[in-house]
Amino acid sequence: MAACLAEQLGYRSVGREVLQDAAERLGVSAELLEQKMSGRPSLWSRFSSMRRAYIVAVQAALAERAVEGDLVYHGLAGGLLLGRVPGTLRIRLIAPLEHRVRAVMAESEMDAATAERYIRDVDAARARWVKAMYGVDIMDPRLYDMVIRLDPMTVAGACAVVAKVVAQPEFALTDDVRAALRDFLTACRVKLALVGETELRALDLDVSVEGGVVEVTGVAPLLKNGSVGNRIVELAHGIPGVEQVRLKVEWFDPYP
Amino acid sequence: MAIITISRGSLSGGRAVAECLAEHLGVPCVAREILQEAALSLGVSEQAMHEEFETTPGRWARLHQERETYLLAVRSALADRCVDGRLVYHGLAGQFLLRGVRGVLSVRLIAPLELRIQALVKQHHRMSGAAGQEFIANVDEERRRWVRELYGEDVEDPSLYDLTVKLRAMSLDTACTAIAEAAAQSEYEVTAEVKAGLEAFAATCRQALETRMARA
Repeated sequence: MAACLAEQLGYRSVGREVLQDAAERLGVSAELLEQKMSGRPSLWSRFSSMRRAYIVAVQAALAERAVEGDLVYHGLAGGLLLGRVPGTLRIRLIAPLEHRVRAVMAESEMDAATAERYIRDVDAARARWVKAMYGVDIMDPRLYDMVIRLDPMTVAGACAVVAKVVAQPEFALTDDVRAALRDFLTACRVKLALVGETELRALDLDVSVEGGVVEVTGVAPLLKNGSVGNRIVELAHGIPGVEQVRLKVEWFDPYP
Repeated sequence: MAIITISRGSLSGGRAVAECLAEHLGVPCVAREILQEAALSLGVSEQAMHEEFETTPGRWARLHQERETYLLAVRSALADRCVDGRLVYHGLAGQFLLRGVRGVLSVRLIAPLELRIQALVKQHHRMSGAAGQEFIANVDEERRRWVRELYGEDVEDPSLYDLTVKLRAMSLDTACTAIAEAAAQSEYEVTAEVKAGLEAFAATCRQALETRMARA
């Protein structure tokens, strides 16, 4: 489906490459990152600050690829990783289990029962991951602009429908959308810089950007030397395109 | 030629999308007319039928026989309208009444709650936003229960539909364009074979209704 769309629209298509980019930035293997991205929440919760770093790295890698627009992303949680970025069409494809079993059997040496178990395990892991990370149900149709069932609709039919929608004005790559994509990329780069610091990684900080103005929100410890705030501002100013940094952080006393 | 069923929550733009599609494709657009025709075939008032369809499951359970007769009448009326392969239906339970029938594109529309509340408050100027939200939540819950009771399904399950479209980023016009494009795909083409299937389905529905009425 992604390949069909990319060809029809003249877009780039990326999937696993985004994970590979993120893994490279983090200095870990793509396999390890993939494993962490689909790990069980119970395991995840033991490594929550690293989890944040992994997600931010994947989000930043996707933002780097998306900033020019004209992209088809077919990896995990694309719609969620891109947040509320305008001009993004979020699609979910669903197919009957028996079709999926046949597809897995054609690509592997699995028998039908093994293929079905494999599909159910992968689905469950992804659903758990999305629930743990974003608190939502991956199957909830409200998360997507369109959900397409590939039965009886074919991939070619679904591709034609999506291509038609992308051509409509609300998904056009306007100057406003380009600006929003640049802001999103800057926000991701700032977040990546923040999680790169061991003492900041565990903090619950969010970053938004509008026209070069960075706003950092969340909760952080107030140290007498002001080191946390200063470091956040310093790191944000190190990102190209950042003109101003506003700290809207709720400070708490770590030594009451 | 196309047959499209549109399911949606109240005030979710279903009528507007259905009318847009019907105009775009040059096919009839029906909803309530099916209930009217079903009522006529049973010799009951449309109001009586409408009330039965809006009744809560508890009452439905007590009226099991009557309910089945009404559903058979509605399905038969809808099947009769489908035989020439040209229809947009945005009434009750289209996705269930025509389930498994070839050539039918089944669509679910989703609209954000805030837009639905706005539409409701616009219609009823004295209604507050909070009252609007409560009203919509009640209607949605009632419909969910109705579908669960009758078909054992979750009306919001996307696997029940060929296409689920959310009207937030997407405008009504774009939704209409997307659905029309889906209906134009060869898998929904009303071929001679599909048409024969539609006629056979309508005949089966009529037969089932007649048998039920004879027994009653």
